[in-house]
Parts: sequence; structure tokens; C-alpha cells
Amino acid sequence: MSRRSQLLKGVLEGCILSIIKTTPTYGYELSMRLQEYGLSNVSEGSIYPILLRLQKEKLIVGEMKDSDSGPKRKYYQLTEEGEQSLQNFIEQWESIKGPVESILYKGRE
Amino acid sequence: MDAKDIIKLNNEKRELLSDVNKEYYEDMLSYIRLSTNKSEQQTEEVLLELLEHLLEADRNGQTAKEVFGEDLKAYCNELISEIPGEKTSKNVSFIAFLILDLAAIILIFQGVIGFGLYYFFGLGNNYFSIPIGSGLLIVVINMILLAVTIMIIIRWLKNSSFKEKKTKKWVEFLQVWLICTAYIGLSVCIFIATPDFGRTINIHSLTIIIIGVALYIVKVIINNKYRITK
Repeated sequence: MSRRSQLLKGVLEGCILSIIKTTPTYGYELSMRLQEYGLSNVSEGSIYPILLRLQKEKLIVGEMKDSDSGPKRKYYQLTEEGEQSLQNFIEQWESIKGPVESILYKGRE
Repeated sequence: MDAKDIIKLNNEKRELLSDVNKEYYEDMLSYIRLSTNKSEQQTEEVLLELLEHLLEADRNGQTAKEVFGEDLKAYCNELISEIPGEKTSKNVSFIAFLILDLAAIILIFQGVIGFGLYYFFGLGNNYFSIPIGSGLLIVVINMILLAVTIMIIIRWLKNSSFKEKKTKKWVEFLQVWLICTAYIGLSVCIFIATPDFGRTINIHSLTIIIIGVALYIVKVIINNKYRITK
């Protein structure tokens, strides 16, 4: 997945921010959520480089905490900047989603 | 949670992996840890996350390659590029700590050997004499030589990860032996080849031992307080 497209990276970032926003999440759980939503051809491990980058950009913070089931896990939470970034992502997505779809599927019908 | 505690946890949990995944994971672990000048805290946190993930995957019968991609080395490189650098203050204190440790050990040995040779065999005069200028120059060149040697060994270790075919043990031994012999040989050459200059000082063996022991005690206190190696 090292040559994963820039497009996929950007979209994954947005999805990760959105999942973390609803509830603090740890790595494995996050990857399972993405799979549940159907992003199953994204390799599971590809979230970790993205999580590192989001932390570096201070969009999320990770904290080692005891989990309900016992072991210590690193739970991620959105920062204020993260909220802002997610908002921007949603706006951009909304503005390109329709046009891109009509360009790609034009003439198919 | 401190990086050192995470390492302990990692050591315990790693034992729970299946043999195949343990081999993959340990390659990833050493490769990522050997990437120099990265934040130790962030490195250990992400390593533990990868381990937790792999333990879950193990239960579903998946291998590391299915989770992290076919090219594990490329995946590790991608991770490493996203790990933030270590703080300069941490680097400086770590290097200072190493120098302190090394100086303490060298002084204690020098003192004890000088003292022993004089009292038990009547050799020397129980004083360590060295021209100040040459002494300082030798110390500086040796520090640089040591740093270069450590970097060569780290590179050697990094190259030995992710090999499909493991190199034979005796070949590895020979390679490390050559690196170490070159290092020891060069440091002896430097000691012999450096010309004498500067005022000569004479220090009594017992004084050297006392300074060495004092430095050693300072080192132990610093290590307990700031948890540099434990």
C-alpha cells in the first residue's frame, strides 16, 4: 500500500477524523469500523501512518488509557483543529462529490 | 505511560504471537527502533498499536503481510517517515549520559590498573602522566570514531532485517568482528600516533579512581531520576 493514491489517503483521513469525532477510538477498533463500512480493500495497517500524521498535525491526540476489557490502549480524540479540519473536509467533499460523479458516469446511461 | 513501560509491556505481549507473525513483527520492531533520531515515546506507542493489532489478527488466522501489506519494509519506511523527531534536549542529555558513563568506566579501569601494577608488580610510578593537549585531542578523536562505529553497526543491523534468506551465523559474526577490530585497532593507532603537546600533568592513581567512582555515582543517580536506560 506504499503507493496508495493520494486521493485515497485524503479520503481516509476525512473518514478517520469523522469516526474519532463520534467516540474516542483505538487503532484496531478504528480499522474494524472502516471495514464494517465497506472500505475492505484498504489494507488494515494503512491507518497507522495516517494516525501518526494526524497527531503530528495536532488534529488528534492519543492517550494511553485502560480499556474496558483490560489492556492499556491508545485512544484517539479530536482536537479543536481536528474539528475544523473535518468541517473543511466535509465541505470540500460535498462540493466535488456531485460534479465528479456526473463527469465519471456521463454517457453511461 | 513512559516509553520504558511500554517497552516492558511490548516484551510481554510479543510472546503471545504465533511463530510466523512473531518473526515478521520482530523484524518490523528492530527496523523501526533502529531508525535514528525519532521520538522514542511515539515510536514505542505505535509499535504497541501494531502489536495489539497483530494479536487480534493472529486470532483470525491472518499474517502480518495480510494486515500491513506484502512489502513490510516499505510499510515500515512509511511509518518511520511520519514519526516525529526526538526533542533536541533529549538527544543532548542522552549523549551527555553516554559520555559520562564511558568516562567513569575508563577512569576506574585506568586507576585500578595503574594502582595494581605499582603495588603488586612495582611497575610505573603510580601516576598517570599525559600532556593536556594530546590528551584532549585523543578524547575528541575517539568520541568521533566511536560515533562512526555505532552508526556503522546500526546500519549493519538495519540491513539484516527483512531478509528472506537468513545470513549464516558465522558470516554475521565475521562481519561484526571486523567492524569491532577495525574500531579497536584505530583507537590504539590514534593513541600512539598523536604527538605530545601541551603541559604534562601527573595524576595519582587513587585520585583517578575517586573521580571515576564519583562520576559513576552521578551517572546512576541521573539514570534513576530521568530513566535514561531503564
